[in-house]
Amino acid sequence: MSPAAGLRGARPEVAEPVTVAVIGTGAIGRDLVSKIDRSPALECRLVAGRNPQSAGLRYAEGLGLATTAGGIEAVLAAPRPFDVVFDATSAASHREHWPLLEPLGTLVIDLTPSKVGQMVAPTVTGVSPATGRNVNLISCGGQAAVPIVHALAAEFPVTYFEVVSTVASEVAGRATRMNLDEYVATTGQAVTAFSGVTDVKAILNISPAVPPATFRTAVHARLAGADPVAVRAVAERVAERVRSFAPGYQVVACTAAGDLVTITLQVLAHSDVLPPYAGNLDIINSAAVMVAEQYATRPDRASRTGVIS
Amino acid sequence: MKRLVIHDPTLRDGQHAVRHGLGLTALRRYAQAADAARIPVVEVGHGNGLGASSLQVGQAAVSDDEMLSTVREALGHSRLGVFMLPGWGTSADLRRAIGHGAEVFRIGVHATEVTLAERHLGFLRDAGVEAQCMLMMSHMASPEVLAEQAARAVGYGAQAVGIMDSAGHFLPADVSARIGAIVEAVGTVPVVFHGHDNLGMAVANSVAAADAGAGILDGCARGFGAGAGNTQLEVLVPVLERSGYTTGIDLYALLDAADLAERELMPAPPVTGSMSIVSGLAGVFSGFKHRVVELCAGTGVDPRDVFFELGRRQAIAGQEDLIVDVVAELSSRATDS
Repeated sequence: MSPAAGLRGARPEVAEPVTVAVIGTGAIGRDLVSKIDRSPALECRLVAGRNPQSAGLRYAEGLGLATTAGGIEAVLAAPRPFDVVFDATSAASHREHWPLLEPLGTLVIDLTPSKVGQMVAPTVTGVSPATGRNVNLISCGGQAAVPIVHALAAEFPVTYFEVVSTVASEVAGRATRMNLDEYVATTGQAVTAFSGVTDVKAILNISPAVPPATFRTAVHARLAGADPVAVRAVAERVAERVRSFAPGYQVVACTAAGDLVTITLQVLAHSDVLPPYAGNLDIINSAAVMVAEQYATRPDRASRTGVIS
Repeated sequence: MKRLVIHDPTLRDGQHAVRHGLGLTALRRYAQAADAARIPVVEVGHGNGLGASSLQVGQAAVSDDEMLSTVREALGHSRLGVFMLPGWGTSADLRRAIGHGAEVFRIGVHATEVTLAERHLGFLRDAGVEAQCMLMMSHMASPEVLAEQAARAVGYGAQAVGIMDSAGHFLPADVSARIGAIVEAVGTVPVVFHGHDNLGMAVANSVAAADAGAGILDGCARGFGAGAGNTQLEVLVPVLERSGYTTGIDLYALLDAADLAERELMPAPPVTGSMSIVSGLAGVFSGFKHRVVELCAGTGVDPRDVFFELGRRQAIAGQEDLIVDVVAELSSRATDS
């Protein structure tokens, strides 16, 4: 099966939804909860934060979900382990959470740039982790750029990649701000891993512009003999595939001058809770939810939990 | 007489004017001259600081490691300074610079985004080096907001905090109000002003900053910097002395360093050209100039319109990829009408 096959069919009907907990109630956790709540394959049993006053916890309460300000400890204390735990905290916290979650046999879906688990970019890797029970969603810039760098490197002799993302200040919470080093390292590593190009650089801008800047990622590539028409065709083909799970993903500019190619991508959010400019959160959360939904249909999941589907 | 600390980013900010192309000989020769003039801090690096060599803003002719070790060797009295933008450079770059003997570290963030500096200021504080925080594009924030952001930087560990007039937009009264508010908010912590000369006000603005209580002022030889250039160091220092401040800098040696900079660092000293005036008025980062002019060539789009449109969109430094969009949009508007 090619990695992307089945992406459109990733909202399967399942006999019994998988049980889910979400740790982290910032902007990313909140959108995640809304996406999980909409999924017939996922049943959100607990939303765990640290701050009892957080807007994210109140939002989850409003949806009628169980919430706690007890953080990871509350997740660990559940009478029966959750099938899936989403970690939307920070890279440092995730490194502490994973050793605690691993013995439970839970599938852990990590939305921080911690580099702990297996990196997933749906159109490139598929959404079923081949090994292990820790799936890492790289970063928002990684989700936007990896499909493009993967396709460009497959078709052209690229010698250098640079990925420059801009995120609106409004939707860059404290964890994101404290995680810039991990963002830069993990995004760069993903670009190398999925393109084979070792000379890479990742940059993140946080823009306070009003009205807020829509999430965008510029992919610069150095490649000899670039034909702008051929490059654009590749970019458009990739964008079409990514739109299967992130409908707001589009190519806004594609230029080639000398041996320098720049493809600029923009992602508009399609979400119940996010403003349209927050495509950074939408693309990474959409990918994360797909991983969980795909897991809900796996036979090994059924046998482990005793559910015959 | 109040003593002011002069901080010289000629070998960092000047890089914007020569597309980050300063070679090792140029770096060494200017650093030696600045050291002979007893300039307290000599800053070096890519124009956007540690780890910023990139296609987005320009690739540096030499690596950070080579720049730092060359300038370190050339300095006997002056302290070695570096600059870093979180999201461009990382703690790994800071660690390497510490290894090279850098002593004064500046973390730059957009004027309203000081929380982006929290981690790196803490890292530097724990490493025992001098950490400063610079609020860039400071014309985009009110004195009250800047004061609040500066106080937070001090809370994160900054030992000095200041503002950059990245677009060269301020008039002296703007600077007095902002520096005054920051000084009031941070007490005895030294406050920094870094001027740009887009509207010909950089020296006057710097004196206004000193009069409002700033303790550290930036200047570059011949104003070497993006667009219209920065505050001209060899003018700033004697003007400050005449205004009743001391700097500890030797005037003749300073003039020699500036002459050397003009001969060996730059094709020509910066002038306040039309594009620089427009970027100052529009409140757009001066470093965008080359790219704007380049991308407008042959499109029929007036680069002056591009600056005003970028100003309307509140483009910040680092968002050079926006220029492509703006040129394309103005070009299609022209075609439609």
